[in-house]
Amino acid sequence: MNRVNDIAGVFRIQLASMRREIGPFLLAAIVFPSAMYLFANAVSGAEAPQNRLRFLAGSIVFSLSLTSISWLGYLLLENRFTGRLKLFATLPIAPSSYVFGVLIFALAQAALGTTTLMLVGRVFGAQVRPNFSLLIVVVFLTILSLCGLGVIIAARARSFSEGSLWTDTLGAGLVLLAPIYYAPEMMPRGLRVFAQLLPTSFAARALQTTLTGGHAIGVELFGLSVTAVITLALGFHLMKWREE
Amino acid sequence: MAAPLKALTSDNVDPHRRIATASQPDALAVSVCDLVKTYRDGTEANRGISLSVRPGEICAILGPNGAGKTTFLRQLTTELRPTSGSINVMGVDVIADASRAKKLMGITPQEAGLFDRLTVREHFEYFARFKGLSKNTAHSASTEIMLKLGLIAEGKKLVRSLSGGQRRRILIGLALLGRPPLLILDEPTTGLDPATRRRVWQVIRNAVADGATTILSTHYMEEAQRLSDRIGIISEGELIAYGTLNELLARVDRSYRLSYQDRSGEDCVRFCESFAAAQRCVERELLSEYSIARASLEDVYFRLTGSPYRDETAEAHEPR
Repeated sequence: MNRVNDIAGVFRIQLASMRREIGPFLLAAIVFPSAMYLFANAVSGAEAPQNRLRFLAGSIVFSLSLTSISWLGYLLLENRFTGRLKLFATLPIAPSSYVFGVLIFALAQAALGTTTLMLVGRVFGAQVRPNFSLLIVVVFLTILSLCGLGVIIAARARSFSEGSLWTDTLGAGLVLLAPIYYAPEMMPRGLRVFAQLLPTSFAARALQTTLTGGHAIGVELFGLSVTAVITLALGFHLMKWREE
Repeated sequence: MAAPLKALTSDNVDPHRRIATASQPDALAVSVCDLVKTYRDGTEANRGISLSVRPGEICAILGPNGAGKTTFLRQLTTELRPTSGSINVMGVDVIADASRAKKLMGITPQEAGLFDRLTVREHFEYFARFKGLSKNTAHSASTEIMLKLGLIAEGKKLVRSLSGGQRRRILIGLALLGRPPLLILDEPTTGLDPATRRRVWQVIRNAVADGATTILSTHYMEEAQRLSDRIGIISEGELIAYGTLNELLARVDRSYRLSYQDRSGEDCVRFCESFAAAQRCVERELLSEYSIARASLEDVYFRLTGSPYRDETAEAHEPR
C-alpha cells in the first residue's frame, strides 16, 4: 500500500507541474506529430490515400517518442540536475516508486496523445478501425521501451546540456531512422537491417496493423517487450539513489 | 552494542563525554564508529569519525567549508555509502538497512531543488503524503509548519517566485513533516537573514522539545554555541573535538584572548590566564590597539588546529 501511495505521489507531482506548463507537452505529443501527419500526406500526393494509415501510425510513434524520450527525459534530467532527485532521495521511498510514478505519468500522456492523433487522423481522411485491446498493449510496450531510454540518458548524462542533446536527438532521430514516413526499400541496405530493429520500427508496424483491426503483430510485440525489459533494467541499474 | 563501545574508546571523544555515555549505553539515538569515506580519486573526506548523540540532544557539526561536514551527514542520511565504519540510528544499522533508517529521519540536504511549478502548500502536502500522512492530516500538518516557518502568506505562490531564503525554509519544513524522531539538517540556516535564522532556531528547539534528536552542520560559530547541546568540530575530515560548549572551552586553558596589532601592523592573538594578565601584557608591550575578550569556540578551533577559523562570519586571526 505504501508503494502505491509513493507511486501516486510521484505521479501527482509530475501532473501538477505539467498542468501549469502544458505548452511543451502539447507541442511534443500533439502539434508536431499532427503537423508531420499532414505534411507526409501533402508530399505523397496521389499516393496519400493508401499511405494515410502508415502516416498516422508513424505520427503516433512520433508523439510517443517525443513524449517519452524528449519531454520525459528532459523532466528526469531536470529532476536530477536541479537537485529534485536528491529531494526524493531524502524520503523513505524506493527508487522504483519514483520510476514507476514517472512511467505512469508517461502512459497518461501517451493515452491523451494517441487518442487525439487518432481523431486528427479520422478528420483528415484516415480510415481507422482499431483493435483497441491490442492498441493499448502496443502503446504500453512502446512507452516502456522509449521511457527506458529516457531513464538511461537521465541517469548517465554528465551534464544537463549533454542529456538534453541526447533526449532531443534520440526523440526525433529514432523516428526519422525508422521506416515510418517512407518505405524501408528507400533506405541504404546496411541501415535497413538496423532500422528494422529499432523500437520505433516495431511500434510503427504494430500500430499500423492494430489501427486496421489486425492482430498479427507477434514479432513486433516480442521486439518491443525485449527492448522494454533491456532498457528499463539498465535504467534502474544506472539510476543511483545512493552514491558509492 | 559494539559500535557505541568502540565510539567511546576513540581518542577524539572528550573524556567527560565517555563517562556520561558509558553510564547509559542503551540510550543512544545515533552512534557513529570509525567512519571513513575515501573517494575514488583518493580524497579522504572523513577519517575515522566516531561520536554518539543521545535522544533529545542537538548536536552541531562545526567546521569550515570543505572540512567534511556534508560528507559526514550524507553518510548518516544513507545518501553516500561509507568506505568503512558503522552508523547506528535508534537501533537500526544505517548501512545495512538504509530504507528502515530513513523512515526515522527528516532530512534537509545542503543543496536540493524544489519544483518550480508547484506551490508552497503543494510541496508540503505532497511530501507529507510520502511520509504516510492521510490527506486531511497532511493539510493540517502543512498549515502548522508553514505557520511556524513564516510561510503561510506564501502558501499559494509558485516556488519559482520565492527568494532563496524562503526556499531554504521550505526544505527545512519538509524535513519536519511527520515529526521524525531524528532531524539531520545540513547547514539549515546558510543564506538566511539573522531574523529568519533565529526563527529557524526556535523551530528546531520546538522540534527537540517535542522529542526529536537533531544533528546539524554549520559553519556559523554562533549557531553552534547558541543552539546545540554538543558540538563536534571537524577539520580536514577528522573530528578533532566533541563535547558540550563548556567541555570544549575547557580545552583553552587560558580563558582570555588578547587581540592586538604588533609594531609591523600585523594582527596577532595571545591567550592569557586572566583579564588582569592580559592587561599586564598590554602595559608591558605598550600596545595601543588591542581588545580583550573571553575565549570562544573560535579560539578552541585555533588552539586545536593552529589555524584561524575561516568563514564569512569569522574574524581574521593570525598566529602570533
